[in-house]
Amino acid sequence: MRHVIFLVGKDRYALPLDAVREVVVAPDRYTRVPHAGTSVKGVMTLRGRVVPVVDLARLLVAAPSEGQPAGGKVVLLELTRRDLGLLVTEVEGIEPIEQVDRPPHTTSRLVRGLTRVKEQAATVLDLQGLDSAVASAFATE
Amino acid sequence: MAQWDTSRYTSLFISEATEHLEALSKELVRLEQGEVTAEAIDSLFRHAHSVKGMAGSMGFEATTALGHKLEDLLDRVRTTPTRFDRGVADLVLQACDALTAHVKAVAAGQPFPDAAPLMAQLVAATQSMRPGTTPLPFKENAAPPLVETTPAPESNLPPRWLISLKVSASSAQPGVRGFLAYKRLGSLGNLFRCAPSLDEVKAGKLQGGLFAVELETTETEANIQKTVSQVADVTLVSIEKVVAPPPVPAAEEARPESSPGDRVVGQEPQRTVRVKTELLDEFLDLAGELLLATAGVREAGRTLHEDARSQLNVSVDRLHGLVRGLHDKVMEARMTPVSVITDRLPRAARDIARRRGREIELIVAGSEVELDRAIVDELNDPVLHLLRNAIDHGVEPPEERRMRGKPPRGTVKVSVRRASDRVLLEVEDDGRGMDTERLKTIAVERGLITAEQAKDLPERDALLLSAAPGLSTATTVTDISGRGVGMDAVKRAVEQVGGTLEIISKRGVGTTFRLSLPLTVAMVNLLLVSVGDDVYGLPIGKVAGVVETTRATLAHSQDLPVLQFGQAVVPARELSALLGVPARLHDVNAACPFVVVETDEGRVALAVDALLGQEEVVLKALRRPLDKVRGLSGVTVLGNGRPVFILDVARIDAPAPHARAAGGDA
Repeated sequence: MRHVIFLVGKDRYALPLDAVREVVVAPDRYTRVPHAGTSVKGVMTLRGRVVPVVDLARLLVAAPSEGQPAGGKVVLLELTRRDLGLLVTEVEGIEPIEQVDRPPHTTSRLVRGLTRVKEQAATVLDLQGLDSAVASAFATE
Repeated sequence: MAQWDTSRYTSLFISEATEHLEALSKELVRLEQGEVTAEAIDSLFRHAHSVKGMAGSMGFEATTALGHKLEDLLDRVRTTPTRFDRGVADLVLQACDALTAHVKAVAAGQPFPDAAPLMAQLVAATQSMRPGTTPLPFKENAAPPLVETTPAPESNLPPRWLISLKVSASSAQPGVRGFLAYKRLGSLGNLFRCAPSLDEVKAGKLQGGLFAVELETTETEANIQKTVSQVADVTLVSIEKVVAPPPVPAAEEARPESSPGDRVVGQEPQRTVRVKTELLDEFLDLAGELLLATAGVREAGRTLHEDARSQLNVSVDRLHGLVRGLHDKVMEARMTPVSVITDRLPRAARDIARRRGREIELIVAGSEVELDRAIVDELNDPVLHLLRNAIDHGVEPPEERRMRGKPPRGTVKVSVRRASDRVLLEVEDDGRGMDTERLKTIAVERGLITAEQAKDLPERDALLLSAAPGLSTATTVTDISGRGVGMDAVKRAVEQVGGTLEIISKRGVGTTFRLSLPLTVAMVNLLLVSVGDDVYGLPIGKVAGVVETTRATLAHSQDLPVLQFGQAVVPARELSALLGVPARLHDVNAACPFVVVETDEGRVALAVDALLGQEEVVLKALRRPLDKVRGLSGVTVLGNGRPVFILDVARIDAPAPHARAAGGDA
């Protein structure tokens, strides 16, 4: 199955291609979402739509990431009746991934498993786990 | 048509058959309460007949057969209206329900439910009503022709006349004179065509004062001439009989230009088309985004040189006007009469009353009032719920009513009316009313409020306790408080569409539930305020006023800052703190705007950094996961492309759910 490969900081991650709608350049600024958790970057507009954006680095690692460089890319997920963007550092491309190994110790519900892309390790994310983590990031109180 | 592809017509069948069945049951319930006339039965028959006919053309045999049996029964009743009794009415309603079930099965793509027992009952009832004199056992061929039973109209249409008129150039009021002539002619029969359009006639904008109308009348030519001659300043240019009625061009001299207003006027029904509701939703979305896009162009133009900018602005103004007009029209197309909801109520009232042994007179008023269809959709269940409550828990059983000196038959009134830019929908009963003391006691028991709070709780708020989640879902309370399950759902649905719920009740006299609803959901007037780096929108409707003062001069009550507003003292809050967003450093001695807003808990003054002005914006609903965020009611995009959240002012001061004593709105 073809996957979108992207970097979060220095780590390599993958999401199934059919889960991704498009990739856009991250906006200069976001509108803050009140009460939301620290992993919520805010909302941006894309062709008139209001899209919530989540900082994937903060979602994956509970602790604040060390000074995220400005810029980055927003990976828009393909979801029915709603929009959601994930802020990542860079998108590397689309690669086929055949085999996904279960992680040695289930660290996070966000992770489906580990794989190798072009001789480099990559973490395949779990869409459902991602979705529920995002939902709780927005409803923190 | 070589190939009759029924699938394309399925949705049409569903919507039309549903309409006929709804009309049938509605008329039947009305019939039960009034006089049973042959005409009324006739109308029932026609609905049943239409459904049967439609089902037949779609090839739904089971539905056709059932419709046929219902039609037979109604046909028999039609000849002997005196035989129409409650038993027959029940049977007809059952058949109506069964047919509705069939239509639903079509919609869901499921097999038809079995209606054999009901069909047998229908046949038995039909036969029992057979007049003894009829020798035929069962008129199998009695099914009427597949065309409507009303006689074909062509044969006895009155003749049509093409009448050309001239308003004298010297007339002081050419518009009035022309219109008067039009009206007078209209009194003779049916007017079909007016060229140029009636609006132009009224405006007196006629080239050479000429205009023409088509009149269908049984009056003689002489009478028509006489009628025209009675109008001052108007003369008859020509009059001639029209052979083929519809597309007759008006006389050349009477049509100075290829009249754009050449549309059918008079008493012909307005032509309508069916549009999928999703399409209307998409239209609204697109029109809303056009508005935003236009604002975006204007914003982009700010960077231009002055000359270029003013030129651009002229175009943008024009574009904005057009898009605004389009948006208004789309909103208009979405307006749906409340009858969509209220038409179902008589039947529901009848069923509930029967089940609960109540006698009810249901009065429905104002069902022609229109609301955005999104609101109408949301209100269907709540209104039904209020009706059920009114009959179930409001109106007492007949014996009890007699004992209390009330007429045994209770009255439930559902009325809808416009009040400026709101629509008020009221469900009023003359039942036992609500016991606020009991409501308070139970609310205290359940920890919704403290005994202290209960003591000072105003009547209005005490009544609303019945809509508090923890209270209304408790079935044990239902009978004591007199109000039932799910009132919280009603309140939530009403607030979802931007409305408010109010309860007025007097013990022993009755209860009124008043829903105050916005006409449309899409446009909202905002006061834009800035807090730190952020901008938020406060709905103008919720803003009571603005006071500019320094934080240092605020008075305190119980250690919390308060602000003098008019005669009252209102709590003062930092908006940044309520929203949990970073604030700008502020000087307590610097003047700061406080926006006083109406919340559910009363007025609250919100300290903001600056007021940025008012703006009318297109409201976008919050979708997951944003709908999970506390304190927001919507979002919009400003001209600069920046998204701005609209605050849920009604609940802005509500503490976070975990800090609440008991269930709130989370």
